[in-house]
Amino acid sequence: MTKLPIKISAKNVDVFYGAAHAIKSVDVEIADKMVTSFIGPSGCGKSTFLRCINRMNDTIDVCRVTGDIMIDMEDIYDRRVDPVQLRAKVGMVFQKPNPFPKSIYDNVAYGPKIHGMARNKLELDEIVEKSLRRAALWNEAKDRLQEPGTGLSGGQQQRLCIARAVATEPEVLLMDEPCSALDPIATAQIEQLIDELRSSYCVVIVTHSMAQASRVSDRTAFFHLGELVEYGYTSHIFTNPSDKRTESYITGRIG
Amino acid sequence: MQEQHISTAFDRDLEGIQSNIMKMGGLVEAAMIDSARALKNRDVELAERVRGDDKKIDALEMLINEDCARLIALRAPMASDLRAVLSVMKIAGALERVGDYAKNLAKRTSLLIGSATIDGSEGSLLRMIKEVEAMLGDVLNAYVARNTDLALAVRLRDHTVDQMYNGLFREILTHMMEDPRKISTCMHLHFIAKNVERMGDHVTNIAEQVIYSVSGELPEDARPKGNLAVADDL
Amino acid sequence: MNLYHSKIHRSLLVKDARTQQRNNAELRFRAYGLTAVSVGIVALVILLVSIFTSGMTAFQQTKLQVTLELPEAKLDKKGQRDLVAMKKVTTIGYFKVLGDGLIAQLERLGVETGLKAKEVREILSKESAATLRNAVLADPSLIGSTVTMEFLANGRIDGYFKGRVDRASAQLDKNVEPGQLDIADALAERRLMYTRFNFNFILAPDASDQRPEAAGLGVAILGSIYMMLVVLFVALPVGVAASIYLEEFAPKNRLTDVIEVNISNLAAVPSIVYGILGLAIFINMAQFNQSSPLVGGLVLTLMTLPRIIIPARAALKSVPPSIRDAALGVGASRMQTVLHHVLPLAAPGILTGVIIGLGQALGETAPLLLIGMVAFVREYPAAFTSDSGLFGEASTALPVQVFNWTQRADPSFVERASGAIIVLLVFLLIMNALAIFLRRRYERRW
Repeated sequence: MTKLPIKISAKNVDVFYGAAHAIKSVDVEIADKMVTSFIGPSGCGKSTFLRCINRMNDTIDVCRVTGDIMIDMEDIYDRRVDPVQLRAKVGMVFQKPNPFPKSIYDNVAYGPKIHGMARNKLELDEIVEKSLRRAALWNEAKDRLQEPGTGLSGGQQQRLCIARAVATEPEVLLMDEPCSALDPIATAQIEQLIDELRSSYCVVIVTHSMAQASRVSDRTAFFHLGELVEYGYTSHIFTNPSDKRTESYITGRIG
Repeated sequence: MQEQHISTAFDRDLEGIQSNIMKMGGLVEAAMIDSARALKNRDVELAERVRGDDKKIDALEMLINEDCARLIALRAPMASDLRAVLSVMKIAGALERVGDYAKNLAKRTSLLIGSATIDGSEGSLLRMIKEVEAMLGDVLNAYVARNTDLALAVRLRDHTVDQMYNGLFREILTHMMEDPRKISTCMHLHFIAKNVERMGDHVTNIAEQVIYSVSGELPEDARPKGNLAVADDL
Repeated sequence: MNLYHSKIHRSLLVKDARTQQRNNAELRFRAYGLTAVSVGIVALVILLVSIFTSGMTAFQQTKLQVTLELPEAKLDKKGQRDLVAMKKVTTIGYFKVLGDGLIAQLERLGVETGLKAKEVREILSKESAATLRNAVLADPSLIGSTVTMEFLANGRIDGYFKGRVDRASAQLDKNVEPGQLDIADALAERRLMYTRFNFNFILAPDASDQRPEAAGLGVAILGSIYMMLVVLFVALPVGVAASIYLEEFAPKNRLTDVIEVNISNLAAVPSIVYGILGLAIFINMAQFNQSSPLVGGLVLTLMTLPRIIIPARAALKSVPPSIRDAALGVGASRMQTVLHHVLPLAAPGILTGVIIGLGQALGETAPLLLIGMVAFVREYPAAFTSDSGLFGEASTALPVQVFNWTQRADPSFVERASGAIIVLLVFLLIMNALAIFLRRRYERRW
């Protein structure tokens, strides 16, 4: 199905919250340099699965993950892997824009600072500028770098969060419903940004808007009740899906 | 679709369009039957009625197209719903062409008043019309029942229609060569036969749209063409 | 089934009976609330008025100016201005000199008295002799000259000027004669006796039972400050660290639940129990000095810890999880997330909790009584001495001083106790105002 290399490979992944079986035996291979979207009704497990990829589920005590998740053929749940290092490689953008209550500059610079990516202030400045440019925020922010990040508009804040995520030079970008708190114009800007990021990163986006998935992604995975029901090219899923459950969800008959 | 949409308004819109298509199909069927009878009985009044009724068919096609455009803009249909709407638009177009040909048939019938009947050929012609009528009836049933097998069968019967046309062509030619006074009548009959053959092609289009709507794929093999007398650019 | 049954059309401009009833009930409810609040306010007002009326006068003190000779014959017999020899003259000798000077002054002024010399002398406070002695020892060159100095008047004379004593009560009181009051009037007319603002009340150390006019809060304030410093430097780090651990790092199991329940309970334990605890651990086992600010501070620390941990945890909890997620997502470790992001955002809340806890500790009396801070302390305790260690010298505290003074016989001490309460209230007010200011200033809106 693909000529592009596989970046993330999940085999037989199960996730339990205490006794609840949230993700059931999911196998999926996500390719690099393309946008993959996870769709499905509320509570189907798509966000849970996304958070397994950067081990954010580790912070939840009752959560247990079994199976293999590999990035670049390395098992991320291996005992030798430090989640902190993993999260420099796998960036995350959340549903509600959550910039730190610091200046715009400090927001973007925080990640590179704690990972020791800059030897001096000059290099740090370069990293900040590069990240803000990648997030299409540089022109609006370059004269206000010392102002608080929380003073920006919703769409700008989310772009700031994207800049913060790309500042650590990740290879994978995870986005958990990044536009659900934004108005249509800001949403369109973020979608445009995702389109530009596609050429440099492996982007995985969880969305509850099928229209967004159809606009933005190359491949789509449909989750339902914890199972991966169907995974394929977006155009195929939305014109002629193979599984009846996918058909029912997409045409608005279940949800 | 057995299952209902979460939004009942969506279901209502879709049903509205589909009932319009059925109505249109019924009107076109009636037009075909009436025009055939007018031809057989040289009934000018009936022919005039058929010509007048074509306006209703055209109006329905416009209505259906508008409704489909609105459905696409407002409901953003996906997958099977999208295919259903796209196929309805194509089917409406095909039905409108069939209706036009029926009107044309009625018009030529008026012109044939006073001229003698050409035995044999007219009979074959009427048989051909009957076959296409039956195909139209079957394809509309296939549409309602979402029966791809029936639609495929209809598609194959176009071959028969083409063959009937070829035979009729040769017959009319013979008549014209025999009796030059009949040339005018025979020419009319020939055009009528050509129109009926094209009606058959449009009904076959409808059958293909039914298959696309249900299965998501157009039938791969080229439709059978038995029409040797004409170039393939119809 | 018709879900939307039709209602009888009613005009909105006419109130129906049920609405009327409900409105009346609400009015009654509001009246109850207002009454309750008023009762509280009235009680508070009565309390404050009674304290202020009896305590404000403590900040003023009656003094008199005396011009007197300092005869060498009595004060420095050898005439060599040798301090060691001069110190042999006690306050009794100086009192005599002072008394003679006063009598001579009264003669010069032409004030008639029918009193004996001893009685005239007693117009002066017993403290005044010490004042004179300290002045002479500080500057021996004064001997042989005539000086004019200010001295404290007797407690009863002071009471006369403040309205506690009049001629009728003076008849019955064995500590004062009506004749003394006449002399006081005469001196006051000549502007030699007056009531002025008394800084000594705040700065001077405590005085004995017979000298209420000289008693001051200096030692008590210093002791309270030392204890607050101990509480600040011990309870703040320990409390904040404990709350960070409980909130961010503790696993969610039974042990953690038990700890949390116990901390909440500790906040409700009566403070006197902490005094017993302090007595047992710090004084008996660890052998710290009794009534030292160190022990007092440690006891108050134990008491204040739960009162710091609970608001600190609330402040940490109020930091939205989205900030933590964002920090973790960028690759910060748990420790970095807490130190760089959560703690700075929770700091205003934690600080407010600490200041309020300190304010409460400032006013605690019971545990301090148990560890022996009731003693009469005359010297300012030093912060650090070589044999007592840090904050090891005996001291007292503001609330304990209040308790102490209310137990004394002289009615002047009532005024002083009320004055001390005013000082305590002012401190508490300042601390609470600081807490409110900090909270307003640094409160963040997410």
